[in-house]
Amino acid sequence: MTDRFNKIRKNPYIQFIVLGLILCTVPTLAAMGILKVSNITILGGTFIFTIAALGLNILLGYSGLISLGTAGFMGLAAYISAYVTMDMGLPFEIAFFLAVLIPTVIGILVALISLRIEGIYLAIATLAVSEILRKTFEEFDFFTNGFSGKTAKYPTLFGIFELDRATTYYFVVFVMILVMVLTYNLMNGRLGRALNAMRGSEAASQAMGVKLLNHRVIAFTLATIFASIAGVLYVHFVRYAYPTGWSLKLSLDFLAMIVIGGMRSIYGTLLGALIVFAIPDLFLKQLPYFSQMSYVLNGVLIILVIIFYPHGLIHAGHDIKALFRKWFKKGENNA
Amino acid sequence: MHKDQTADMNDFVLKIDNLSIAFGGLKAVDQLSFAIKEKEVYGLIGPNGAGKTTVFNCITQFYKADTGSVLFKNNKNKAVELTQMKVHDIIANGLVRTFQNVELIPELTIMDNVLIGAHVHFKANIISQGLKLPKAVREEKKMKQKAMEILKVLGIDDRSFMIVAGQPYGILKKVELARTLMSEPKLIILDEPAAGLNDLETLELSKRIKMVRDELDCSILLVEHDMRLVMDVCDRICAINFGKFLAEGTPKEIKENRAVQVAYLGLEVDDES
Repeated sequence: MTDRFNKIRKNPYIQFIVLGLILCTVPTLAAMGILKVSNITILGGTFIFTIAALGLNILLGYSGLISLGTAGFMGLAAYISAYVTMDMGLPFEIAFFLAVLIPTVIGILVALISLRIEGIYLAIATLAVSEILRKTFEEFDFFTNGFSGKTAKYPTLFGIFELDRATTYYFVVFVMILVMVLTYNLMNGRLGRALNAMRGSEAASQAMGVKLLNHRVIAFTLATIFASIAGVLYVHFVRYAYPTGWSLKLSLDFLAMIVIGGMRSIYGTLLGALIVFAIPDLFLKQLPYFSQMSYVLNGVLIILVIIFYPHGLIHAGHDIKALFRKWFKKGENNA
Repeated sequence: MHKDQTADMNDFVLKIDNLSIAFGGLKAVDQLSFAIKEKEVYGLIGPNGAGKTTVFNCITQFYKADTGSVLFKNNKNKAVELTQMKVHDIIANGLVRTFQNVELIPELTIMDNVLIGAHVHFKANIISQGLKLPKAVREEKKMKQKAMEILKVLGIDDRSFMIVAGQPYGILKKVELARTLMSEPKLIILDEPAAGLNDLETLELSKRIKMVRDELDCSILLVEHDMRLVMDVCDRICAINFGKFLAEGTPKEIKENRAVQVAYLGLEVDDES
């Protein structure tokens, strides 16, 4: 009986679904007054950032490539989706499709050009593209509404279901769990092995028939698709987008999330997002002196994590368990 | 296009003809020719710096030879010119190699490392992988079973779920061999398989090489310094020095060959004899 329970408990898909169900209780808790309504926005935003960070984790964690363009692609998707739904008046589904397709095509072009050369060039190319995009967001105000910011509405699914804050939050959680399952499947199969092999040894992976350029482009495309999905969800959940939001700082925050949470770890990415985005907003900004300090926190955390948990804070779980066991035993001995 | 050279191959699986490569002024491989028969264990020996590994890299296309041809009878029994292929296309033709310094992925399990050997045999596309469609699941299961069988033959199936990092060197060598066997090869190239193994492990290795040849009906090309192993397992041996052909023959012939003795032991060549 317990065996069967353990088997169910250890099934990764059950774990993802349980996580999703737990996260879906937030709006109910807010309605009951246990959480603040603003917490829904903070947590939903965090999960949206988790989606983009999962893509970057595929790229950085598995294939060992660095992109500094996550924010740029995310922003582009956000503006496209806002423009298509608000200015062109087209349904959310079409906006979603276009807002993922266009940045992805741009991303593939950048990847094809920059990934022929090894090393740091993808980081440089994506940084350049991202800065060009940010400048575009500022200048092309017919499209982005410039510095006044572009507004959008909560999505309407299939033309019938008009979502509000809570239901959009459910939608965000649903998409995040879906992306997590997709990432899990891909990274535990042939593609994940090939990317791992590529990072471990280019020579060996080539000898095993892994086409380096193909797989690098695939990894980067996945990262761009996830960033675009996050962009669409962001603009329809937060309902506005400013050009200053899509800066290098956001791209670096994504890197920080992965380093702090855990490379090649799906739950680590979520943990990293909670630490980098949710904790400053939920707790630190309430304290008088810490409101401006939250940005310092990232830097300090990265240094501490690299020293003590070079593979990410998600691995601290084992240590905490071991510590509890030790305390527990001590108590037994005394008794 | 070239004429079909399949007929010329007879019972050879690999035919190297006039292979040369130079690094700057250094001729690492110079006009080298040899051929390996099917189901043969063929040894390539030579003193340090003789260019053995360079020959390997020219066959597997990590280096592009300046001149010469490398003909290979692939798994469809068709002769192909390897020098016109990319590194990652070699394995699908049935030619696979190991590395002098074991090249595995330390963070992955032994099972996952072995499965990489079957990379080109997976047919399911990225969408069916991501959505775990029945086709992809079946394929993954089939490959895992195959990997498990290979690990069982090598006697390391009880470790399949363990991470590669921290495993003893002898195990790592076995994992790398298992990975090559996943690709259903016609020719396996082993780069110093006995390096770092103790006497007992080397003895076991020579048995294993013969077993692989017999069970999988494939040829094996071996670069090795351990002469006992080479003399024990090889059907024929080619000795090279300074990238040049020195001698070819059975282990006995090579042992008795004057030129090989000179190259290895530095004997004075006296003109009278």
